[in-house]
Amino acid sequence: MKNTKMPPAVCFYFQVHQPYRLKDLRITDVGTMNSAYFDIEKNRSVFRKVAEKCYLPANALMLDLLERHKDFRIAYSLSGVFLDQCREYGEDVLESFRALVQTGRVELLGETYYHSLSAVFSLSEFCEQVSKHSEKIRSLFGVVPTVFRNTELIYNNEIANIVRLLGFKGILAEGVDRLLAGRSPNVVYRAPTFDFPLDWQATIKRYRIHSRPLKTISVLLKNYRLSDDIAFRFSDKSWVGHPLMSNVFAEWVSASEGSTVNLFMDYETFGEHQWAETGIFEFLRHLPAAFKTSGIATKNPSEVVRSSVKKLQDTLDAHHLISWADTERDLSAWRSNYLQEAALTGIYALEPAVKTIGDPVLLDIWRKLQTSDHFYYLCTKYWNDGDVHKYFSPYESPFEAYRRFSHALADLKLIIERALELVHKTSHS
Amino acid sequence: MFGWEYPPRYFGGLGVACQGLVRGLLRHGVQVTLVLPHGESTEPGVDIRSFASADPLRILSVPSVLRPYDSPETFHTHTGDQQGMQKELYGRNLGEAVEHYTATAVALTNNVNPDIVHTHDWMTMEAGARASKHHDCPLVAHIHATELDRTEFHPNEWIFKREIEGLTKAHHVIAVSQYTKNLLVKEYGIDPDKIGVVHNGSEAQPFLMERKEAESHPLVLFLGRLTVQKGVQYFLRAARIVLDHSPGVRFVVAGEGYLLPDLIAESLRLGLNQSIIFSGHVSSQEAATLFSKAACFVMPSVSEPFGLVALEAITHGAPVILSRQSGASEVVSNALLVDFWDTDRMADCILTVLREQVLGQEMRAHSSGILKRLTWKTQAKHLLAIYHSLLLHRS
Repeated sequence: MKNTKMPPAVCFYFQVHQPYRLKDLRITDVGTMNSAYFDIEKNRSVFRKVAEKCYLPANALMLDLLERHKDFRIAYSLSGVFLDQCREYGEDVLESFRALVQTGRVELLGETYYHSLSAVFSLSEFCEQVSKHSEKIRSLFGVVPTVFRNTELIYNNEIANIVRLLGFKGILAEGVDRLLAGRSPNVVYRAPTFDFPLDWQATIKRYRIHSRPLKTISVLLKNYRLSDDIAFRFSDKSWVGHPLMSNVFAEWVSASEGSTVNLFMDYETFGEHQWAETGIFEFLRHLPAAFKTSGIATKNPSEVVRSSVKKLQDTLDAHHLISWADTERDLSAWRSNYLQEAALTGIYALEPAVKTIGDPVLLDIWRKLQTSDHFYYLCTKYWNDGDVHKYFSPYESPFEAYRRFSHALADLKLIIERALELVHKTSHS
Repeated sequence: MFGWEYPPRYFGGLGVACQGLVRGLLRHGVQVTLVLPHGESTEPGVDIRSFASADPLRILSVPSVLRPYDSPETFHTHTGDQQGMQKELYGRNLGEAVEHYTATAVALTNNVNPDIVHTHDWMTMEAGARASKHHDCPLVAHIHATELDRTEFHPNEWIFKREIEGLTKAHHVIAVSQYTKNLLVKEYGIDPDKIGVVHNGSEAQPFLMERKEAESHPLVLFLGRLTVQKGVQYFLRAARIVLDHSPGVRFVVAGEGYLLPDLIAESLRLGLNQSIIFSGHVSSQEAATLFSKAACFVMPSVSEPFGLVALEAITHGAPVILSRQSGASEVVSNALLVDFWDTDRMADCILTVLREQVLGQEMRAHSSGILKRLTWKTQAKHLLAIYHSLLLHRS
């Protein structure tokens, strides 16, 4: 019997981000570091390595695919700190992203400029960072994001509504089983709508990105099974799907239920997490054609939102915070031990002082220390099992990561104390 | 099994490790005959044979004057203090003493039918090699320390040569760490496929004692033999840097060894005298108290095959800073690591642990998990698996 079901579309989103890694800071330099916390050489070398292995070849391939397949569409989220590093270490990388965006079929998403956990810790800081990021994207690419992805897909009802009130039409989240409870991640959901206290509303309004917020916000959920087939399992020789061919993957997609399969992953999947030798680029090269053969269209996140708003959307009710990290898919990758709590509490406690001082350079340094990676490196969840955190960390242990972070924080605190004294003196005189 | 020291008579980690392995093997149903140079030790379920207890060799039932960490230089130092009679029995140099041990130790095992001959460190290697040949069974050489570790890589050539000979004769080598395995491959030219790694273990239950860190004057602890190998001299240099930053910190150097006079002189030269205590030998009870009082424990070894003291430290909840040149750093993962020579960084790690309470708190939270994975029973099981594969390949 012929299958008459329309295959779902595919929505690609790739995360592009690089943190500012810390130097081997010393306690004896606390007070005299002059905010030079970051390991310029390390950050440059990592950036260039990833640029050569991933960003440049992957972007060249994407551009080629976009030229050859006129209906091919993809989306990226470029963190603000990544774009800053492009300025410092890779104008060529920035140019290659510009070329992609100029095709008109590459969408850029909104996120927090500093790839931070501010959504969990500070409303005003979150709104400022989202606004700063949108402004950055507008100034570099001439487009303003309409769909939002929070750091590491951290999500709950509250975040969805803040993002809605900021003016976004859609938000991405992880397709967490416990929230879906048997439902498919391949359909668009809506977040429950509610209002915030007036002071919250005022804060959000101050940083609103689009003039009129919608009544509802659409939620696009990551299909983690099919996404992870590419992002994690692609080169795993013990996996039954190995070696994964484009046409086989297209068949898996077309056999899926629902309207859109959301394939969300780190962009570094291509060439960095999965090396070129694994055949990941060849897989990608043949994917658009394989999709076409299977009748699968590719859509941008904003298109998926647009095509679904008129339909009756099921509600996704997320009271607890979810994310795309680890098997827990909660916040435990960034806040599950003493070190992480101390570091997070320490950095966010400085917000009032930093904002009173109002020095943009100080603000930038403080915010660079908010990047989620700093707290991820402190994770000891599976430290003894030689886990994935180890792979992603530039430091030899979470304890070493804390040593460095605590020195930076101690120095920053001193700078802030001194600056505050100055502010008080001048305000009294 | 040819051992050199065994509790209650032991001088360092070798005795503890030997006992741990023997007890672990017993729990897996392995029958152990242990040959020791002295007769005070007993171990329920183990056939211990020594000069002292062996009837046919009554004439040799004199405690050996050899200590497991001997080199010819130190041998002369302490035999100088011994009774003249003993000196004559064992000859005037280490070579003769080892030869003597070797010949008699083999004779002691004549009526045993072992499946495996297992030796501990260089002094028992030749005895093991002869026994292995005599009984026609595989020889396993367990390396707890090499001559290079003991001498800061300036080996006594005679010992070094004996080590190479023994390692070459052995059918299989057990290193107490990957660090030691690498050293055996690189410096001794031993085939890496012949070397297995079995880390040392621990029987201790964590957190037996309440921690009572001194608040006004935090205490930073070194505990170990005062020898070049243990890197105490780097501990003193780091102490100087720490004190320049935080004058209230107190340092304890616990243990004894030939370096003591030099260390005292050095600590005076560095101006540490108001801030450091050389406690001399400490009992295990005293050690436990020190660990539970210490704000942090430092193991700055220059070359440490394992370093059981690191396990002791985490057993008592002390945050630890370990030399990267150590085997313990491979398994004690709740530690800050330093290169032994990098005293700036060592001082920084100490100061960080002192300033950041949460660091110690987080490190402690992982101790029981690490100790649970590293019991002697588990480590003996790894050893047993190596025995089995050796016997399998023989038949």
